[in-house]
Amino acid sequence: MIVPVGVVLGLSAVLFGIGVFGFLARRNIILMIVSIEVMLNAVNLSLAGFSRHLEEPSGQILALFVIAVAAAEAGVGLGLIIALNRNKPGASVADLTDLKG
Amino acid sequence: MTLLAAQVAFYYMAAASVASALLAVTRRNPVHSMLWVLALFLHVAGIFLLLQAEFLAAVQVVVYAGAILVFYLFVLMLLDLPGEEARPRFGAHWPLAVAGAIGFVLMIWLVQIEMVNSGGAGLVSATASLEAAEDPPSGSVKDVAQELFSTFALPFEMASLVLLAAIVGAVVLARRRAPS
Repeated sequence: MIVPVGVVLGLSAVLFGIGVFGFLARRNIILMIVSIEVMLNAVNLSLAGFSRHLEEPSGQILALFVIAVAAAEAGVGLGLIIALNRNKPGASVADLTDLKG
Repeated sequence: MTLLAAQVAFYYMAAASVASALLAVTRRNPVHSMLWVLALFLHVAGIFLLLQAEFLAAVQVVVYAGAILVFYLFVLMLLDLPGEEARPRFGAHWPLAVAGAIGFVLMIWLVQIEMVNSGGAGLVSATASLEAAEDPPSGSVKDVAQELFSTFALPFEMASLVLLAAIVGAVVLARRRAPS
């Protein structure tokens, strides 16, 4: 392995943290969902790192399933956003206060 | 590729992916953010290649960068958000978000350091790595395919059901309701 597995895992953790920050801080709902994709990619990176470290292909297969589920999640999430946008134009989560008591 | 060249490539990809991820979550223009995410995905695909996950790298480029990201861009442009650049990017609570993200990363690092120091014990069964050590590593894509269509054949079929459900769900959600 070209670099220690710890380096790959550390990089994956940093990317995941950036995704967490984006999800928590951004106000645009589409960019929030894109931040989730950044987090999923970080997880895939650590899966690939483990797969290489342990010489075990099942890590890559789990990453493939993560990508399949990410595609499904993108489809449903963006469908929700379009339906939401029809009722309330704009993409800012700050405007979505209908459930406030 | 020599080891040094591979290491230089890895650290370049790592630095570039962190930089493009940071730019992606902080740019004011959503389309620019999306393009930085594209740069992130391509660099992560490069890291997959260096980790000898060739098929994963191809899927990353074709599915993530090719399909999912274009889908996001479509929806972003469909929504037509005038004045998005003038609005504040972050909620007022963004320092809390920074603190939360940093705390989260430190927490993962603690666990990872512990794990790497213990040699990955408790994570993976010892037999798995022993078996892998016995048979010489062949082509990575071949190994993945072998495993995918034998051990993971049922989950593979389930993934197609998940995608089918997502297709139906997306159409139902985004359909224009007939006026009643």
